[in-house]
Amino acid sequence: MEGAFGFAPLLLVFPAVGVLFNTFAGRRLVQADRKTGEMYSGWFASLMAFSAFLVAVVLLFSLRGHDFHAEVVTLFDWFNVPSANFHIPWAIQVDTLSVTMMLVVTGVGTLIHIYAIGYMHGDPGFHRFFAYLNLFLFFMLILVSGSTYLMLFVGWEGVGLCSYLLIGFWFDRQNEEGKAMNADAGRKAFVVNRVGDFAMVLAMILLFWTFKSLDFGTIFSGAVELFEAGHGVELFGMEMSVGAVLTAVTFLFLLGAAGKSAQIPFYVWLPDAMAGPTPVSALIHAATMVTAGVYLMVRSNVLLEIARESTRLGVEGANVLGLASPDWIALTGAATAVLAGLIAFTQFDIKKVLAYSTVSQLGFMVAAAGMGAYVAAMFHLITHAFFKALLFLSSGSVIHGMEHGHHHLHEHSHGHDAHHEEEKFDPQDMRTMGGLRSKMPTTFAVYMVGSLALAGIFPLAGFWSKDEILAHASANHGTVFTVVYWMLTIAAFCTAFYMGRQIKMVFFGAPRHEAAKHASESPPLMTTPLIVLAALAVLGGLLNFPFFGESAFETAEETHNFGIFLGLEHWLEHSIPTFELTTEGIVQMPHTPTWLQLSVAGISTVLALAALGASIFVVYRNRPQTADERDPLQSTPIWWFAILPFEWFYMHTVVPAFKGSARWLAEVLDGAFWHDFVHNNVVRDLFVGFAKFSATVLDANGVDGLVNGSGRFVRYVGSVVRKTQTGYARNYALGVFLGTVLLLAYFIFAN
Amino acid sequence: MPDTVSIDWYVALSIILFTIGAMGVLLRRNAIVVFMSVEMMLNSANLAFVAFSRYLGDLDGQVLTFFVITVAAAEVAVGLALIVTIFRTKQSINIDDINTMKG
Repeated sequence: MEGAFGFAPLLLVFPAVGVLFNTFAGRRLVQADRKTGEMYSGWFASLMAFSAFLVAVVLLFSLRGHDFHAEVVTLFDWFNVPSANFHIPWAIQVDTLSVTMMLVVTGVGTLIHIYAIGYMHGDPGFHRFFAYLNLFLFFMLILVSGSTYLMLFVGWEGVGLCSYLLIGFWFDRQNEEGKAMNADAGRKAFVVNRVGDFAMVLAMILLFWTFKSLDFGTIFSGAVELFEAGHGVELFGMEMSVGAVLTAVTFLFLLGAAGKSAQIPFYVWLPDAMAGPTPVSALIHAATMVTAGVYLMVRSNVLLEIARESTRLGVEGANVLGLASPDWIALTGAATAVLAGLIAFTQFDIKKVLAYSTVSQLGFMVAAAGMGAYVAAMFHLITHAFFKALLFLSSGSVIHGMEHGHHHLHEHSHGHDAHHEEEKFDPQDMRTMGGLRSKMPTTFAVYMVGSLALAGIFPLAGFWSKDEILAHASANHGTVFTVVYWMLTIAAFCTAFYMGRQIKMVFFGAPRHEAAKHASESPPLMTTPLIVLAALAVLGGLLNFPFFGESAFETAEETHNFGIFLGLEHWLEHSIPTFELTTEGIVQMPHTPTWLQLSVAGISTVLALAALGASIFVVYRNRPQTADERDPLQSTPIWWFAILPFEWFYMHTVVPAFKGSARWLAEVLDGAFWHDFVHNNVVRDLFVGFAKFSATVLDANGVDGLVNGSGRFVRYVGSVVRKTQTGYARNYALGVFLGTVLLLAYFIFAN
Repeated sequence: MPDTVSIDWYVALSIILFTIGAMGVLLRRNAIVVFMSVEMMLNSANLAFVAFSRYLGDLDGQVLTFFVITVAAAEVAVGLALIVTIFRTKQSINIDDINTMKG
């Protein structure tokens, strides 16, 4: 194997070692000596995350030295059923796309691990937390490094499990009504994701039937070949075009991604997921796991493009209600971006605002992937990982500071109403904050960076990535692109508005609660990762720096030659085969402008500044003054979104639809496979017959005979031998005597 | 000593004593008598040791005899203690009454 690709398995080994260490040694260490134990437990986990990061860096350089060609490192055969032509290797795909994801996951992951050492200090589940975090890294790396859809799915389910475990990390905490809210939130996340995961399984089954493989390379080249040749595939006893199959597959992928990446209609779990510890919200529910759906889309770019092209060519069956499934993906993402952006207006919990913001930004990425702007989607994924992790960790720092202030207050007022205060104090409620700017200067500074990056203010990271998505939407023609463009523009406006509202409520004005007055800055262990992330949030735009002005390059080659700025674009080009497909004239990818579109960037920047200004200087100008004051938006239509019964809608439309389709599918599969007949008459009857034969003949005669026979034999021998044991001493003496005589006779006469 | 008794006689006596002892152990019921029979067997062996020792002009046999006497003394002490204990529990020293080992 060329280069250092042999190191690839270490990527999974390091986090696994971290899990084992904290599972078996962590508890003892922490219990033996709290302080050093926490140090070993937390730093070991961080070291494992960092080691995985180094492996990813090594892979990055090996790819460079390998001319960016993808390498598949096979570890072992997972399934191999030659008769069914079913062969799934356990292999690691090392290409530019997966390495990008690895770097983001392990890089941001390492910073969050280090932050968590400070944040989780003193928690009784300290070692358990780090074991889960490392387990999450392990599964996330399987997800992004798998070379087959099945491995991706293993990681997909694994991160879902870790998400469940970590949302419910404080599973024993209860609210005032005695409900275990955290455990419920974990369960909700898990159950809501089931629907999407079911769609994923269906998509994989379809892919396997069509291509007889789940391997990325095989499927993609097979899909291009079939599409080129215009061949159909035999499914359900009828001939189907590959375009129709891939439309179904990508639509099912949309459902799967909607579950994992919290899109309409499954996004309801993500805001509740904020019940988990803040580092978890940052790592899993903002930076990495929830982007798995986007990764899936980008990874399946060939399938998406073929589905889009089939719809364009009017292939029979290759559309969903008249639209291509990538269009549905784009519309779903854009709708989610707007909806979640609006809901974020109405939240008072500092983390819930960020959670809805995450849903909204994921909508941007999904929309980008659906529009064919895969590089833009990845770009936004990376920059979002930087600044959203930053925002979550900073909010954790704020919560930490508020709790600290509250403790301080509690210690210094042994008086009458301290208990009364404690009962209703919520350290995450923005209404109780205010004026934290001077109390927590570092947190304030990095929070501002993160907020402005998220709002898309020039020249921070979010500006470049969001602008690339918007530019892509505006540069292509078609109703869907136009609709998506305007929806995303509105969503961008919302983003700036709710972030302005948040920073105003948290950091400016006067403290509205005693705890906010006494809040203090978090320890350096927590602020240092924040500063690193803030630097990344500032500089992240350099990854894919567009050209200025309208002087675009005419040809792809020219762009390529001058592409030093477009780092990510050219880096990902090797995984997203835009050019290979277009030069063969098979598929026309929607094109992304590689230069800065001044009109688009201008509109979005003006809107973002207007939104920030409107929220900080107009709507929330002198408000809120007290913690109980009504929100100025509370009498506007925006507030409707908060009270709209989304959950009810989910329970009464999606769930019955899921149940109905599952039942329908069961009937179809039954018809196709004589499922019941085979089960009842072949499998069950044969099995029952064999079991009966075993029970009555084999067991009764064979096994029982052997067991009872040996028992009887021993008893018989015993009854004979027992007679020699008379109990009379002289009989034994006679035995000894005769024995001696015999021995003597032997020695005398034998020689 | 002009006429020494030949070794054969000593050996014969030893055999006779041993046989009597062995028969006593196997046939008698009284534990004390069985015990004395054991002593008789031991002493028949002692006799043979001493006789051969003198016949061969070697002191090893006589040394061994002292060992046997010592061990026999210890054995008697333990054995009589056992018999006394058995008598206390069973009110009998008939060894046929002691058959708790019967299978």
